Amino acid sequence: MSHTQDKSSALGQGVMIFVYLAVLTVLEFFVAVTFNAISILLVVAVIKAALVMYYYMHVYKLNNDDGTDEHSYQFKTGTNRIGLWLFLLSDAFVFAGLMTMRINLLGLTRPHQLDQNLGLAVTAVLLVSSFFMNRGETAMSYGDVKSFMNNTLITGILGLGFFLGVVFVEWRLAAHEGLIASFGNPAVGPLGGVFYMMTGMHAFHVLTGLIFLGIVWNNARKGLYTAEKHWGVEAATVYWHFVDLVWIFFYPALYLIGKAV
Amino acid sequence: MRHFVVVGVLVILLAGLTYIGLDTIGLMPDAASAQSIPIDWMWNWQVIAISFLFSLIIVPMGYSLFVFRRKKGDTTDAEHIEGNTALEITWTVVPLFIVVAFAYMGTFSLGEVLRADPNAMVINVTARQFTWTFEYPEYGVVSNELHLPYNRQVVLKMESMDVIHSFWVPEFRVKQDVVPGRVTEYRITPTLEGSYKVRCAELCGTSHAYMENAVIVASQAEYDAWVSEQQAIAAAAQTPEGQGQIMAVKNGCVGCHSADGTPLTGPTWFGLYGSEVTLADGTTVTADDAFLEESILDPNAAIVAGFPSPSVMPPYQFTDEEIATIIAYIKTLK
Amino acid sequence: MKKFLATALARGLLWQFAGTLLGAGLVTGIRALMGLSVNDVFFFTEPAWVMGGFSGVIAFLLGSGAVSDWVKWARGMDTPEHHEEPYSGWEKYFHVSLDHKVIGVQYTVVALALISIGGLFALIFRTELAASGLQFLTQDLNLFGQNGLQLYNTLMSLHGMIMIVSILLGIAGIINYVVPLLIGAQDMAFPRLNAFSFWIAVPAAVLLLMSLFLGGFDTGWTGYPPLSVRAPVGMQMFFLGVFVAGWSSILGALNVIATVLRMRAKGMNAMRMPIFVWAAIATSIIALTATQFIGLSFQLVMFQRLFGMGFFDPAKGGNPVLFQHLFWFYSHPAVYVFVLPGLGVISELLPVFARKPLFGYRWIAMSSLGIALVGFVVWAHHMFTSGMNEYLRLPFMYSTLLVAIPTGVKFFSWVATLWKGKITFPTPMLFVLGAIVVFLLGGLTGPPNATVSVDLHLHDTYFIVGHFHDTIFGGFVFPFFAALYYWFPKATGRRMNETLGKLHFWLMTPSFFVLTFGMMRIGLLGMRRRIADYDAALGFDATHLALTIAGYLIGLSVLIFIYNFFASVKNGEKADGNVWNSRSPEWQVPSPMPAHNYEQPFEVVGEPYDYGLEGSQYVKFIAPAKSGHK
Ligand code: HEA
Ligand code: HEA
Ligand code: HEC
Ligand code: CUA
Ligand SMILES: [Cu+2]
Repeated sequence: MSHTQDKSSALGQGVMIFVYLAVLTVLEFFVAVTFNAISILLVVAVIKAALVMYYYMHVYKLNNDDGTDEHSYQFKTGTNRIGLWLFLLSDAFVFAGLMTMRINLLGLTRPHQLDQNLGLAVTAVLLVSSFFMNRGETAMSYGDVKSFMNNTLITGILGLGFFLGVVFVEWRLAAHEGLIASFGNPAVGPLGGVFYMMTGMHAFHVLTGLIFLGIVWNNARKGLYTAEKHWGVEAATVYWHFVDLVWIFFYPALYLIGKAV
Repeated sequence: MRHFVVVGVLVILLAGLTYIGLDTIGLMPDAASAQSIPIDWMWNWQVIAISFLFSLIIVPMGYSLFVFRRKKGDTTDAEHIEGNTALEITWTVVPLFIVVAFAYMGTFSLGEVLRADPNAMVINVTARQFTWTFEYPEYGVVSNELHLPYNRQVVLKMESMDVIHSFWVPEFRVKQDVVPGRVTEYRITPTLEGSYKVRCAELCGTSHAYMENAVIVASQAEYDAWVSEQQAIAAAAQTPEGQGQIMAVKNGCVGCHSADGTPLTGPTWFGLYGSEVTLADGTTVTADDAFLEESILDPNAAIVAGFPSPSVMPPYQFTDEEIATIIAYIKTLK
Repeated sequence: MKKFLATALARGLLWQFAGTLLGAGLVTGIRALMGLSVNDVFFFTEPAWVMGGFSGVIAFLLGSGAVSDWVKWARGMDTPEHHEEPYSGWEKYFHVSLDHKVIGVQYTVVALALISIGGLFALIFRTELAASGLQFLTQDLNLFGQNGLQLYNTLMSLHGMIMIVSILLGIAGIINYVVPLLIGAQDMAFPRLNAFSFWIAVPAAVLLLMSLFLGGFDTGWTGYPPLSVRAPVGMQMFFLGVFVAGWSSILGALNVIATVLRMRAKGMNAMRMPIFVWAAIATSIIALTATQFIGLSFQLVMFQRLFGMGFFDPAKGGNPVLFQHLFWFYSHPAVYVFVLPGLGVISELLPVFARKPLFGYRWIAMSSLGIALVGFVVWAHHMFTSGMNEYLRLPFMYSTLLVAIPTGVKFFSWVATLWKGKITFPTPMLFVLGAIVVFLLGGLTGPPNATVSVDLHLHDTYFIVGHFHDTIFGGFVFPFFAALYYWFPKATGRRMNETLGKLHFWLMTPSFFVLTFGMMRIGLLGMRRRIADYDAALGFDATHLALTIAGYLIGLSVLIFIYNFFASVKNGEKADGNVWNSRSPEWQVPSPMPAHNYEQPFEVVGEPYDYGLEGSQYVKFIAPAKSGHK
């Protein structure tokens, strides 16, 4: 792994991307509550996604020159990277399918039972967690295990917060407002089903991401990773950001697009 | 060169023979609707194309296998030919033209099939496991048989009460699914008198195979006669058993229960009333009013021996009077 | 017997059994505490069965040891890169192995087993169809909680899905065995993932078969709601089984793509890859992505059944047609998953037996990608009558017709390859030629289905059944047999018996023509699909009887093959050299293939199919590169 920038500028970049993402999210929220222009929401989401893919998930690393020695760690990491990205591509189709379902069943409406502030809050939590994840990975690529562990711990706590927030606060509030997964309740139409399915599938991925983080955290504690060899950390990071990436699209789809009914 | 001439002649010969052969056997059933004309026209072109393209591949292939097979004792490899750009472009572009032609013809024939007559007669169709019900709003008639006048476009507005079914009369060609929660339309102009069957073409459960009702295309006069006969029956059916019969038709009971002893999905109603019914758990009960009422409202309460559990019969909601009429009707079936 | 009980397979199955009971018991316990009902017709309630099915799969994986290395990694332990094979002989095929060749054989044998089971189901329901009226699947039959008609539907649906799973496993078998050899790799890119992909397919097959005993299901392999929402619990086992098998397919495809991208021998650029590798890539692109949609669509119906979420229930604002879109978005491209490797086998073997270069290599390679990509945008041609927007049918008609062009390119190139060749006819070649003819018939009956107006008549008839048996046999079954006859000596060092092979071919092919021509004929005349009984007035009895007999003959020919296959492992004629006189790298080394493939790596120095070019060479073996090996 070659460093093209020093540690503090890597940190600076992480902070900057975070600020961009935060501003864009607030913009999104503002657009949604004021004049509701779907095209703007779409453009913003795509920009956010591009930022995350490039700066947090390092998609350009797929292009790295890994040498020709098939037994070197570097070469194997290159292969692993391809494997991981192929997996993410495949997984993205699940979410694309859910999105198709949402568009087909709900069209330009969205559940009114959802609390806008809560939605923004969980989104923010996930965003902040990505920031710390990025810091953790950067630390690891400089061999700073201690800082990696601290940052990952914060990420994990935030992620857990997101997970619990969705399942125990958001779901319960929504149910309380009458948005039940329609256990035989025709009143809410497909809204409940779509909402619980999309958030549930996403939360499931957060949960697997948390497990993954736990594993690499524990292995880092055992001292298994170095600045040169930490594929496990990179994989966990990319996966975590991928889950964030999905939310970048799901958040507007559930909370912001269209008329609340 | 000689090879190409022989192959060319053989291709045309085989294509011609295949087409004539297929045409002589006759591939399609009778055409009984105006809509089948563009469809059969399109199909005929497909058969021509299939005959030709099939020969175009099979003949040179068979020829090679025969003429270019390895001679005894020869161990050398064949001539080194890697490809031929002009040829490759040809066999990409020519099929492209054929495809474009078919796309055009397909669009045209679909347009013909969908051509709507604003004066078409409307018939409401209800599909349910495992029967069809036809309602003629113009005449206030309900029937399990579809009667159509000759040469007049009808539009069927179709609804399903349960799962997806599909309306198909092979002689009419066209097929349309009947989907719960929406109304689908089916336009047809019958052009050949006769009796046909509407055959449900979408797997809809246990007795899908038997979801076939009669379709009768008759001259306007015969059709009118049938309509007035039905109207008379409906008017006369002011007795409870008459109403019960209409209920049984309307609600699709007759799809599973025959009136004459024929076995269908459910036990026949012939001779049912007052008989001893053996249940799946081995006990017997007498088929009295109470038992029939229970069987109709809660099919799972008692399963008749020899029928699957849970019951495939859907639970119905009826008022007491409605049930009484149905039972009265069942009583008459001896 | 004792040895068998100690195998990973036996342990896995045992664990699956226990895991199923445990999961089902757990849910039952919780339900009991919550005061919900605890038992149902099939002993457990539906949620308990679903949980049981799921935990059974997990238990299988743990019990068989397919995930033990990953568990070790997660706990920070190191594992050797290649396990030394601790078992030999038949035993190694029953244990978790990381060797792609062993896994390839495992896949293939399971695929053959499933073809037999699926075929057996076909023979059972074909016997029912031999005459109109019900023969033995009668109304008062009561087997596995189903009457005869329901049992017919279950067998028919399972026939479809088990066959499809067997195809997925069959192509995985061929790809796994052959692709690393063709590109000169030591193994797949991710050997553990490879083993996992295979082993997870086994509990999937068990789940599919379980559905037969849990009341079955009567929806066809397509499982359209609302019917599938009303079907017995067997439906859930079917959904779960397909879902799990889907993961096998996705992860296998991922592995293939990574392997081809990363592990090719020196000098093997894209246009010098053996053509089969192109086919494998095209197939894998589809399997990697589209498969998620069938998983999702089935998962949604599962949830609708379990939690009443009304995705496809119009009464709750759902949309039954949405399911069909999600389902076919996978299941159409899936048919190209079935055929592309088969067509790859045809392209790979033809030059060997015609002793002539593959005509138009580039165009053939590109046509595979073309079929795969266009295949993504044609799915709604299965839904022309479904009640979807009328005008949407036109673009789908056009896109579907377009597929004919790249497919045609393949056919014309094959013919041109044969033209002026010096053709020989050993068994693999016979199957290749059979494949071309049969697939041509299947392919040519595609465009009529794609033309909306004609499809309004053809949809859901035996014409469609004939169409897809032709495409599947021509695109998969025949090439699969060709591949098995062809690479059998590579795997075993022995040949299969030629006489029996020819008997297999000459019995299967004519019977098969009777089968599909008969199907198409009665289909056009009004024979619907998926019916247990037909109207005697249609006059189809004689044809149906012929179809049934033909089905039996195909079954017999497959039995001959299976006998030949297993008998030849032990007693086949020895063949350790370049049996077919091929230029392909795997034939340049002795058979059976050594454990770690090529002892000496090779470099690609020429074109793969330059038969007849004096002094040309495809690969050259070089001294092993010095590397920090472990
Ligand atoms: C291996 C599997 C396979 C393959 C390869 C194909 C190939 C094709 N299929 Fe088929 N199909 C199935 C398996 C397959 N199919 C199955 C399983 C079903 C039923 C599913 C179910 O409902 O259960 C089905 C159903 C099906 C339908 C839906 C029918 C219905 O239910 O109403 C349609 C409609 O368009 C269709 C079309 C086609 C077309 C156009 C091709 C094309 O790819 C064919 C292309 C090939 C050629 C055309 C021949 C060679 C070309 C030339 C010689 C060039 C010149 C030709 C022309 C210019 C025409 N298929
Ligand atoms: C790989 C795919 C594949 C294969 C090989 C076959 C093979 C056969 N199929 Fe299949 N078929 C499908 C895929 C396939 N089918 C699909 C997808 C459907 C649609 C289902 C649906 O509508 O949902 C279908 C539907 C279908 C129908 C329509 C049913 C209906 O609509 O009601 C029919 C009817 O004749 C049929 C017949 C046959 C026959 C006779 C064979 C014969 O070739 C079978 C030959 C027999 C064997 C290969 C078995 C040989 C082995 C033994 C006898 C040994 C047994 C021993 C042990 C188990 C130890 N098939
Ligand atoms: C989908 C098929 C189906 C339909 C539609 C159906 N039934 Fe049934 N019915 C059955 C079956 C199967 C049984 C036997 C199993 C059982 O007892 O539940 C049955 C049993 C009965 C019995 C008890 C018969 C006996 O022999 O004891 C009565 C009465 C009955 N049905 C009335 C009706 C009425 C009235 C309707 C319509 C309003 C109707 N059924 C519609 C399938 C059906
Ligand atoms: Cu109704 Cu099939
Ligand atoms: Cu298709």
